Amino acid sequence: MRNKKAGFWPYLLIMPALLVVMAVVFIPALNAVLMSFQSYDLRRPSEIGFIGADNYIKVMRDSLFWSSLWRTLLWVLFGVGFQFVFGFCLALLLNRPFRGRGLARSVSLIPWVTPGVLIGLMWRWIYDGSYGVLNDILLKLNLIDESIPFLARVSTVFPAVVVTIIWQGIPFFALMLLAGLQGVPGELYEAADIDGANVFQKFIQITVPSLQNTIYVTTLLRIIWVANSVDVIFNMTGGGPAYASQTLSVYIFNKANALNLGYSSAMSIILTILLLLVAIPYLKNLFRNQEN
Amino acid sequence: MKKVTVFFLVIALCLMMSVGCKKKDDTSSGATNTPIDITHWYWADNPDYSAKMQQIVKDFNENNDQNIKVTAQEYPWDGGGYSETLFTAAMGGGGPDTAAWKLTSTPLFKANNLLANLDGYINDWTDKEDIEENLYNVMRNASGTDNIYVMPWNTQVLYVYYRPSMFKAVNIAVPTTYDEFLEACRKLTRDTDKNGKTDVYGFGMRGAKGGQEPWGSFIYGRGGDFTNFSTPQAIAGMQDFINLYKNGYVPPTAPTDGFNEIIANFKSGKTAMTIHHIGSSSGMVEALGEDVDAFPFPKGTSQWTSMGDTENVIFEACDNKDAAFEWVAYLATGKGQEEWCKTTGNVPVSKRVQAMPEFQNNKFMKVSIQGAPSAGIFPILDTTTEWINTIWPNTTAAALAGQKTAEQAMADLQKGLYGS
Repeated sequence: MRNKKAGFWPYLLIMPALLVVMAVVFIPALNAVLMSFQSYDLRRPSEIGFIGADNYIKVMRDSLFWSSLWRTLLWVLFGVGFQFVFGFCLALLLNRPFRGRGLARSVSLIPWVTPGVLIGLMWRWIYDGSYGVLNDILLKLNLIDESIPFLARVSTVFPAVVVTIIWQGIPFFALMLLAGLQGVPGELYEAADIDGANVFQKFIQITVPSLQNTIYVTTLLRIIWVANSVDVIFNMTGGGPAYASQTLSVYIFNKANALNLGYSSAMSIILTILLLLVAIPYLKNLFRNQEN
Repeated sequence: MKKVTVFFLVIALCLMMSVGCKKKDDTSSGATNTPIDITHWYWADNPDYSAKMQQIVKDFNENNDQNIKVTAQEYPWDGGGYSETLFTAAMGGGGPDTAAWKLTSTPLFKANNLLANLDGYINDWTDKEDIEENLYNVMRNASGTDNIYVMPWNTQVLYVYYRPSMFKAVNIAVPTTYDEFLEACRKLTRDTDKNGKTDVYGFGMRGAKGGQEPWGSFIYGRGGDFTNFSTPQAIAGMQDFINLYKNGYVPPTAPTDGFNEIIANFKSGKTAMTIHHIGSSSGMVEALGEDVDAFPFPKGTSQWTSMGDTENVIFEACDNKDAAFEWVAYLATGKGQEEWCKTTGNVPVSKRVQAMPEFQNNKFMKVSIQGAPSAGIFPILDTTTEWINTIWPNTTAAALAGQKTAEQAMADLQKGLYGS
């Protein structure tokens, strides 16, 4: 009888939190799913109604969807990949004792704490083809003959926005991996020194395995965040020119901005499913590692 | 029992009468003592215009005899993003009472029953005749009904700004035909410091949002029009536009250049000509003095220039529409019209204000008036906003980058606006 009572109380106590989560997460998500099966275009309110899978069929036939999806893949791959590599290097550097380390650690956080909108605007001016500081530096160093319109050229716009997102995300990896590094016992490195291990061997055999869980969690979080990121690209290019910097999340945002909420919801659901397909095996692997 | 019932009925009646009288007193006192709050949204192209709007609001608040208190909130135009923000706010119940407006947004807001019908107010308005009847008709057409939902405010006719000193340097006269204009773009593109690289471009092309307005002049220049983008004439106009970029007569940043970029490039001397309306004339004169002039976009096979329109609307959700109308009427024909048009240089809609010497003696105003007969607006459809914000800039950028031919681009633009 007492066990039964104890079994009931925990559920009652988490009920308020559960209700809040239901209200702010599940209901909007459910609404998005319902909307994706409707002709929900606010420009034509009289036509709002269920249309089955029409939105999904249209999405599948939309060449812009596929090009945006492909660009999202590259965006995540290069964006998160380089953020991780540079973030790891920065974490290793900041883990070593040197004068001014505290200041360096603080300064390195600036890109991460700067709002995405501001980053977008800032880098738009850095890349500006007429008055941008990047062109100015390259010209003064005689690396180029004339200014490059980085954001106006189809061939350079996407690499340019990828560089920006890399710059933004490096401190996140650096911070998280630095925290992980500080938890690695020094004795392991001492034992490796006695065994005659070199720096590379210590890195592969001790550092990386010790940080495995941190690496799993941080990369998964960044994959989800970067895939869903709109602010940087939207403020730098709006997805253009010629849709050359349009990722799927930016396309969704543009369609929602154009008030075609049914169509943008269908694309959002597809993006969610794709991210789940990445996240579930990732998490399974993480839990399996933890059990081992 | 009967007496008791009657007694209570009398008491109740007295109470109701006293409440009724009290309520009447409250209402009358509210009309004089309690301010009627009106929230107004607007955009401004520069800090001077912001300050002017706030000054107009202050004057109105101090001088109106109905205790109306307007609070003006500024939002960026953002190449049309303003209208989207306004729509989101209005749909979410957080919109203003009145707002500055562009006609292209009318179908969307009207379809969602967000705008107040102004017919009754305008018919009873003493200043009705101070505005040309034709403008009211334009407002009616924009709504797709016989009703007026939009209060005229001011107009801007696009024309070509040019640098007389640069024309003199290459020894050319102001173009009078479309072909001469294209030729001027070529001749004005120069390498002034002889380092083998272009440093002055003939024309400041706007490839970002809003660029469809000057682009329209090229389409008409070859005899095309907006009813069908796929005609050979319209395609030829698009080809001219592409050629300007391909031949290097416009800055290489043109595909993403918006309002700020074309104005900055013109002021800095990077471009010799650019297209905008009178709203930027005061800034041009401030930066360039006498070395800036203007001419209407020249006629080719046909002629068209964009009539930028700015109006005001009252929202259906506004609780005090009478007060809101007082405010938008003040902007249309009152002191607000005079002050705003003097500062921005926009063409007034009030005939009384148009007749003032400040407007009659302004060279940019003269060019605006010269261009007015060929001025028009884009087709106002429920697809227009998306077409302007996303489809036109990206499709044109693809054409400029050589990813699409002029014909393919025009087919895409046709599909984007008309669906087929």
